[in-house]
Amino acid sequence: MPAKFGALGAAIARKTATYIAFFCLLFWVGFPVYYMLITSFMDSPELGVKPPHWIPQKPTIENYREVVIGETGQRGSYGSTTEFSRMMPALLNSTFVSVAVVLSNLLIGGMAAYGFSRFDFRFSRFAYLGILMTRVLPALSLIVPLFIILRKLKLINTLWALIFTYTIFILPLTIWILREYFDTLARDIEEMALIDGATRWQAFRMVVAPLAVPGLIAVGVMSFMEAWSEFFFALTLTNSLTYPPLLMSFRNLAQVNWNALAAATTVGVLPPVIVAFVFQRYLVRGLSEGAVKG
Amino acid sequence: MAAVRARKTSAQERQHWDRKWIPYVLLAPAIITIVVVILSPLVTTIYYSFSNIDLIRDRTTFIGFDNYVELFTSRLFWKAVEINLKFAAIVVVVPTLMGLFFAVLLVEDFVGRGLGRTLLILPWALPWIVIGLLWNWVVHSQFGALNGLLYSLGLIDKYIPFMADENWALVFTAMASAWRQTSFSAILLLAALQTIPEDLYDAAKVDGAGMRARFRFITIAWIRPTLTIVLLYNIVLGFLQFDAVWIMTQGGPGDATMLISVLLYRYTFINFDLGMGAAVSNVLGLITMGVGLIFVRLTYRSQSTYS
Repeated sequence: MPAKFGALGAAIARKTATYIAFFCLLFWVGFPVYYMLITSFMDSPELGVKPPHWIPQKPTIENYREVVIGETGQRGSYGSTTEFSRMMPALLNSTFVSVAVVLSNLLIGGMAAYGFSRFDFRFSRFAYLGILMTRVLPALSLIVPLFIILRKLKLINTLWALIFTYTIFILPLTIWILREYFDTLARDIEEMALIDGATRWQAFRMVVAPLAVPGLIAVGVMSFMEAWSEFFFALTLTNSLTYPPLLMSFRNLAQVNWNALAAATTVGVLPPVIVAFVFQRYLVRGLSEGAVKG
Repeated sequence: MAAVRARKTSAQERQHWDRKWIPYVLLAPAIITIVVVILSPLVTTIYYSFSNIDLIRDRTTFIGFDNYVELFTSRLFWKAVEINLKFAAIVVVVPTLMGLFFAVLLVEDFVGRGLGRTLLILPWALPWIVIGLLWNWVVHSQFGALNGLLYSLGLIDKYIPFMADENWALVFTAMASAWRQTSFSAILLLAALQTIPEDLYDAAKVDGAGMRARFRFITIAWIRPTLTIVLLYNIVLGFLQFDAVWIMTQGGPGDATMLISVLLYRYTFINFDLGMGAAVSNVLGLITMGVGLIFVRLTYRSQSTYS
């Protein structure tokens, strides 16, 4: 009887510990995000209240209205009309850049990964290792020569500079993950298709590509998020055309409107957050395979 | 029969013919662009680091190791190294331990596990720049969430200007990075934990292994390769972080959060001393590549021991 009692006690202790830990997780992840969210629904006087209102007393969507229409409303002294009016164009630009990066990355990276996976040719091992090594280079350090190259190509302060740069910096990871995928796909089915008279392109399209869809989704989502989030190249190669550097310039305004900034931040992170939640499963798998294998 | 053979031969021939040039076509776009955009700037940066670049007169002079000598004898550089080591220590220890903690929690079966796993993705999905802003709100001296919380709980009677203090500024910039890396680490470790076969634990229980022994000899042993990778990523980030620190402090107050990457930015974009900037970036590159190589070797060795 005491033994059974002890087992029950242990089970209760375990459940309690689990929920305490769960609360820690909720607090750790949720607290900063929650605070930004409530700030975005407050007006400036309420933000300064001591002790803070943990739930907005008179919630307002005024901040979101300002961000969306790019005006600062009656509170003319805060923020700057001209800066906030760049928000919507920046979101459009970010969308364009991210989608273009996903497509070009999947195309170029997919081709290269398939090449590495299916063919053994002169220098193939050397080229593969060389590509992988570029992953540990600090991107920060390549900016000056890169700037010079892009200026020669007349791409500075265009979205193409970002598309070009992001695509190529994400390529090594793409090639790495997709090669793993192609390597594990049943080769014999593909060989059979070839023997049956399919061309390589047909075999790729009918056999390999459909099987590789989860890998392609994982890589596509990861490159979308990277392209949406990248800050440093966007700051140095363009004049705040996309969302991350624009956010920095809101932050650096002489008189920061913290409430509007919170709203702008919330609106701008919706795309990557939604994409991450929707494709959670693929993402986790791609992430762990990309990080761990190789 | 003959027809089948003929078909087969032609397929083989075509395949043979494929093999000669198709891989080069497949790889050309990737390799050419990587050479242009990554490798050629790398070579240029190495060359710059041995040069004095006069932007006004547009003149580049080869000066050997002078930039490196100047760098290694400057107090500023060693200060940046010291600050960066402290920063990296937090960014390695906190996320790895907390990540492991959350991962172990989220393999448990309990109501709310799904919510926990989904929430875990959130910090990882946010841009670094946004993470810097979020933590700005947390530590702000007038309306910061942390000050508000401590005040609400009655632990302080006036708000603390955390970011004006050198030590707190370093701790909180590091915590912002740790916040996101905790998620990343937990996601990877959780994926590894889920692959542990349940019967290993059952067998250990039968053999009389206690909870601590099971954790150490089964859980940790099983996820060790992943743990190594997590450590590697966190160390590399500890040295390459720039965005989140830049938006929070721009290296300040004073030089309190001047990481090596911030020093690199200052040399290049504020002093326009491209030669020194290149020297700093090569040192930084060597550090991260060194870390990478050490860990790759360790991983391969541990893999061959265990399999």
